[in-house]
Amino acid sequence: MFGTTEMQINMGPQHPSTHGVLRLELKLDGERIVDTRPVIGYLHRGCEKLGEDRTYAQAIVYTDRMDYCAAFAENLVYAEAVERLLGVEVPPRAQYMRVVLAELQRIASHLIWLGTHAMDIGALTVFVYGMREREFILDLFESYCGARLTYNAVRVGGMPEEFPEGWVEEARRFCDVLPSRLDEYHQLLTANRIWLARTRGVGTIDGKTALDWGMTGPCLRGSGVAYDVRKAIPYEAYADLDFDVPIGEAGDTYDRYLCRMEEIRQSRRIVLQALDKLPGGEIRGKVPRRIKPPKGEVYHVNEGPRGELGVYLVSDGSEHAYRCRFRSPNFVNLQALPDMVRGHLVADVVAVIGTLDIVLGCVDR
Amino acid sequence: MSKIVRPEDSVLRRFLLLELFAGLWVTLKHQFRPHVTQEYPRERPELRPRFRGVPRLRDHPGAEGPLCVACNQCALACPDHCITVVAEDRKGGKGKQPKSFHIDYERCCHCGLCVDACPTKPITAIYMSHDYEMAQYARDDFMTDLRGLYEGHVPREYKR
Amino acid sequence: MSETLLRFVVVPVAQIAVVIAALLLIVVYLVLLERKINAFMQVRLGPRRVGWHGLLQTVADVIKLFTKEDITPRHVDRLVFLLAPVVIILPALAAFAVIPFSGGSFRVGSVGVRAWISDVNVGLLYLLAITSLGVFGVVMAGWSSNSKYPMLGGLRSAAQMVSYEVPLGLSVVSILMLAGTASLVGIVQAQESAGRWFLFWTPYPQILGLFLYFVSGVAETNRLPFDLPEAENELVAGFHTEYSGMKFAFFFLAEYINMVLVGCLVAVLFFGGWLPVTFGIPGLREPLSNFFPFWGGAGAMLTGFFWFGLKVFLVLFLYLWMRATYPRYRYDQLMRLGWKVFIPLGLGHVMVTALAILVRRG
Repeated sequence: MFGTTEMQINMGPQHPSTHGVLRLELKLDGERIVDTRPVIGYLHRGCEKLGEDRTYAQAIVYTDRMDYCAAFAENLVYAEAVERLLGVEVPPRAQYMRVVLAELQRIASHLIWLGTHAMDIGALTVFVYGMREREFILDLFESYCGARLTYNAVRVGGMPEEFPEGWVEEARRFCDVLPSRLDEYHQLLTANRIWLARTRGVGTIDGKTALDWGMTGPCLRGSGVAYDVRKAIPYEAYADLDFDVPIGEAGDTYDRYLCRMEEIRQSRRIVLQALDKLPGGEIRGKVPRRIKPPKGEVYHVNEGPRGELGVYLVSDGSEHAYRCRFRSPNFVNLQALPDMVRGHLVADVVAVIGTLDIVLGCVDR
Repeated sequence: MSKIVRPEDSVLRRFLLLELFAGLWVTLKHQFRPHVTQEYPRERPELRPRFRGVPRLRDHPGAEGPLCVACNQCALACPDHCITVVAEDRKGGKGKQPKSFHIDYERCCHCGLCVDACPTKPITAIYMSHDYEMAQYARDDFMTDLRGLYEGHVPREYKR
Repeated sequence: MSETLLRFVVVPVAQIAVVIAALLLIVVYLVLLERKINAFMQVRLGPRRVGWHGLLQTVADVIKLFTKEDITPRHVDRLVFLLAPVVIILPALAAFAVIPFSGGSFRVGSVGVRAWISDVNVGLLYLLAITSLGVFGVVMAGWSSNSKYPMLGGLRSAAQMVSYEVPLGLSVVSILMLAGTASLVGIVQAQESAGRWFLFWTPYPQILGLFLYFVSGVAETNRLPFDLPEAENELVAGFHTEYSGMKFAFFFLAEYINMVLVGCLVAVLFFGGWLPVTFGIPGLREPLSNFFPFWGGAGAMLTGFFWFGLKVFLVLFLYLWMRATYPRYRYDQLMRLGWKVFIPLGLGHVMVTALAILVRRG
């Protein structure tokens, strides 16, 4: 006679911590989650279709708008794919410049992740500290390419411009400051019992399931699978650089947190090495003004801050791609969300969204 | 490949709440650090030389007449198709000059591809200006003509 | 006749008016203080536009809230919806009836005026009783909103406030045993005659008691790291999601008044109320307890206000400081902490205190 019913609740698309316009249909038993259904598409702008309508050079501009927290990584993977179609060799200086900027972008993106993730769990201050350090990187990007968020800082075949005067020193200064700031984050969060209580054992996913879902990036490495495109299929100058890939064990939110924090340190190491080794010479390979790749197709991946970024391009010999398709790590990682939160409480959904580090611009494209 | 480093756990730390006090210490230190924010619009950010604001047109005293040669390269390079150029014969010289030049700031995405395409190198006729305050009350106002493109936007002064 | 009128009507009404006016003013500036302190800890500046360094910011906010359209959603339970803000704010204000703000006294005609509205001999019981009424407002708000997020928030806070009453009460029990009276004035006087605050009571300093009381107080007032009922990142705004304008302002006001109340009680129970900070140096006591000896009792009262205010401020600062530092607990963890850690700790604390009293008596 007295039965209880599950409560269905809509989290989002207007919700403070769904990182944009993600909508989750939660089925709750009390506060416990019985089922979750992510509803996406609120930020769909047709980037892939636009990539088929615009020329190869113009389409880079649209990759900026997909993962707006890590625009450079998207620029890079698209440009690399077109270069592979064209068969163009990128000069070594441009390769190193790309590595420097890509790793700075990874740090910036991880800082956003740290800030929003911590804020979702209630630590307001870490967010502001993370933004403060990110501002350094945005200044560096502004100084290099003129934009702070949507860079358009890669051209097919190389880089658009040289580093401006004093840029390398500024980047080194940032790398000098960063470790002390990271220590502060660690002091605020890593050993904090509240943080531990909120992240340990939350959103656990083992390596095999994560692989089955196709998860990549820190989300996969937190589960103990050592897969990083930079090591597995080295691109640009990564083969010459020395860095570690941090691997977690438990596959919970805490391990992913530690993985990303360590990745920031490793990225800093890469930036410093690449700045030391920065060769001279050309920054743009020989690319015709009108880019008309020969007929063919290519699938190219690189390691974005959130995981394996892929581009699939089919060329029909014209100025436009015949088919353009992006493999977004956010989209793939998000699929595992229902699995990761089942049986947890409402508060954990927020933590798991934070740890997946999704950017809805990239999920919906 | 490396394993992540976990913080050490100790009985002392657990019972004396040491890590909680460490957190409090960090925020207390910041209480006395100078602020890093800007009071916009009273203070304005210092823009880097390469900053990409809205695209505008410019002239050069060395050039005869307008620098722009109305070649339409920028309009072709624009991924948003926001540039419209109508050419006319250059007054008192060979070649062309723009009769009208419109940029729709509402659609412009500040990518800078038009500047890359501009043939009047090294001083390009179209350039990325440092104007960044582009709010308007009506959509039509975003359509900027030759005059607007030359004059640009004069930022308002705010005292408080 | 006129003396009776003065003693039982004029003076109490004036006292109540002063306390409420002062409270509202304090809350207004507490909000500003919170924003400023959080801003400084986050290397920002905080509000700076309205008034000098933003001093009038909260005033502007209050005016905005007062003049805002008062929206009552169509799907709510109207009566309960309207009652909830009242139910939540009345106990918060009523609790201040027994708080002794300062010592000393002055005379108006033949009537002596003290710095408390009333000195009830069951003051502590009254406080425990009346502050637990506040939870009804929260539950009513959460239920009557007839909406899912407020309901979750209301349920959370009901559970939370009820479970943290217990450790709160337990830490008060040991104070009760030490003072031998439930009157708040009596408690301060007991500390005065003992010559030391209960925090430093020998042989068993009440540090654990203070910790229990403060943390339970934070949990009772729904502040970070225990602000689950209104965890904005999970439940949007918790139980007051559907409220706007004045009604929302009432919830806001009640929350801050409760913060001030916890600060006052910590000061009274553990820090010796209006007693001066002497660092245990006996010679300092006399000059520090009255800065204005030429005003007699009124001077002592003013000085008492200063010391009391200082102690309350420190507690409130700790509140804001914690807010700027810590993440938030999860609902079940909070419950576990309350029932499995704080209540046993509180019981143990009471027993140790009782033993210590026995030892002291010999």
